[in-house]
Amino acid sequence: MISDDSLDPQALAAEYVLGTLDPEERARAQMLLDTDTAFAGRVQYWERRLGELQAMVDAVEPPSHVWERLSARLDAQAPSSAIRLPGLAERGGFEPVDDSDVVVDLTRRLRRWRESTMFTGALAAGLAALVIASVLAPDILPERLRPKPRVVEVVKTEVVKSEPSRFVAVLQQDAASPAFILTVDIEGRSLTVRRVAADVPSEKSYELWLVSDRYPAPRSLGVVGDTEFTVDGKLGAYDPATITEATYAVTLEPVGGSPTGIATGPVLWTGKLVQALPGARPSAPRAP
Amino acid sequence: MLTSAELVWLLAAVAKGDRAAFERLYAATRAKLYGVVLRILRRSDLADEVIQETYLKIWTSAAQFNPALATPITWMVAIARNRAIDLIRKKTEVSIEEESDAMDVAAETSDPLAGRELTEELKRLLACMGKLDGERQRLVLLAYYSGWTREQLAVNFDKPVNTIKTWLRRSLVEIRECLGS
Repeated sequence: MISDDSLDPQALAAEYVLGTLDPEERARAQMLLDTDTAFAGRVQYWERRLGELQAMVDAVEPPSHVWERLSARLDAQAPSSAIRLPGLAERGGFEPVDDSDVVVDLTRRLRRWRESTMFTGALAAGLAALVIASVLAPDILPERLRPKPRVVEVVKTEVVKSEPSRFVAVLQQDAASPAFILTVDIEGRSLTVRRVAADVPSEKSYELWLVSDRYPAPRSLGVVGDTEFTVDGKLGAYDPATITEATYAVTLEPVGGSPTGIATGPVLWTGKLVQALPGARPSAPRAP
Repeated sequence: MLTSAELVWLLAAVAKGDRAAFERLYAATRAKLYGVVLRILRRSDLADEVIQETYLKIWTSAAQFNPALATPITWMVAIARNRAIDLIRKKTEVSIEEESDAMDVAAETSDPLAGRELTEELKRLLACMGKLDGERQRLVLLAYYSGWTREQLAVNFDKPVNTIKTWLRRSLVEIRECLGS
């Protein structure tokens, strides 16, 4: 279905990069990507901007066989210098098709064909894994396994198992001068303060406060240490909604923190949490 | 990971067909790319395949990398994510149930920013995303990190698909306006 707004190339490019287009729109975007330089530019913009989010994803080592297979596939190819010459590559297109996917200048159709071959292979592997799993370890297969399963639910459930929510606050006076980065793991109620630009005060201490309309006065979360990272578990007393909605502030206090438990010094930096990694289960929509 | 400048240099060498540079590039970036696609695919066998395809594409397309338009890592992540999303969409189309038979997502460290390069661009993006309301932040991030469709997001947020679509587009427009060009 092509609705009116799907014709807007800005939105199409942005959602293409985000990954939320339906298959027809996605195919259309991929076609435009090859033919429309303005559209390609919009896609590059979003890939560049949203691509920064990769910094939040934990690195996971791939198995060593990935490199071995990759390396074998490269070995099986013609020398790459030849591949880069369009003339040679075009001639290459008439040769019997082998496993190599790497001839740059193949016709678009051939490339698509090969990609679909790859998908078929992956699908077959997936089916095989499923069958083997059902034979060897039926326990690990979910009871919800059924002839026409809803993939949606499967994905949702798996995500629930393994992902903590992470929130980040940039404590700053203005956008140009972030002083501390606060990271909060809601489930673990743990807090990490990273010193970005703030100096270590002499004969004073920085103290971190939670400011919430649920409490009459700011609540101390402790003194920020002199090292780059300060890790603290003082969030244990607060519920997730309080933690996510609060404002965090750093004040300048006597060494060791405010003696009275009430903030006395000037507020130097403040910030609010932004959800940096989605959690397992979106919390219920907040009451208005 | 190597610095962005070192990766640019490696990509330039890879563009000339330097296998040793390619191996170094792989060593420096494989875990990040694998982490990204594993989140979307949630199955190590599919992630293995996508990573191979991704690096083959990087090998053949390194000459197209333009440091004025992307950083090496955002460029490579975009290739990897596109492959992963294409693959998972095809899987959904044929309604095949797949379960994580062997995959166990590694326990994540408590501080995602510890030891990480926090670029100015990321800070700006986070600041702009922070202006969206909480539910919309989560929506955009779930779409980006997990590769969910609008339908999956609709189920998860308990909203009609059209609402999700409107939210996504409005959120992206707001982010763009906030970030500027």
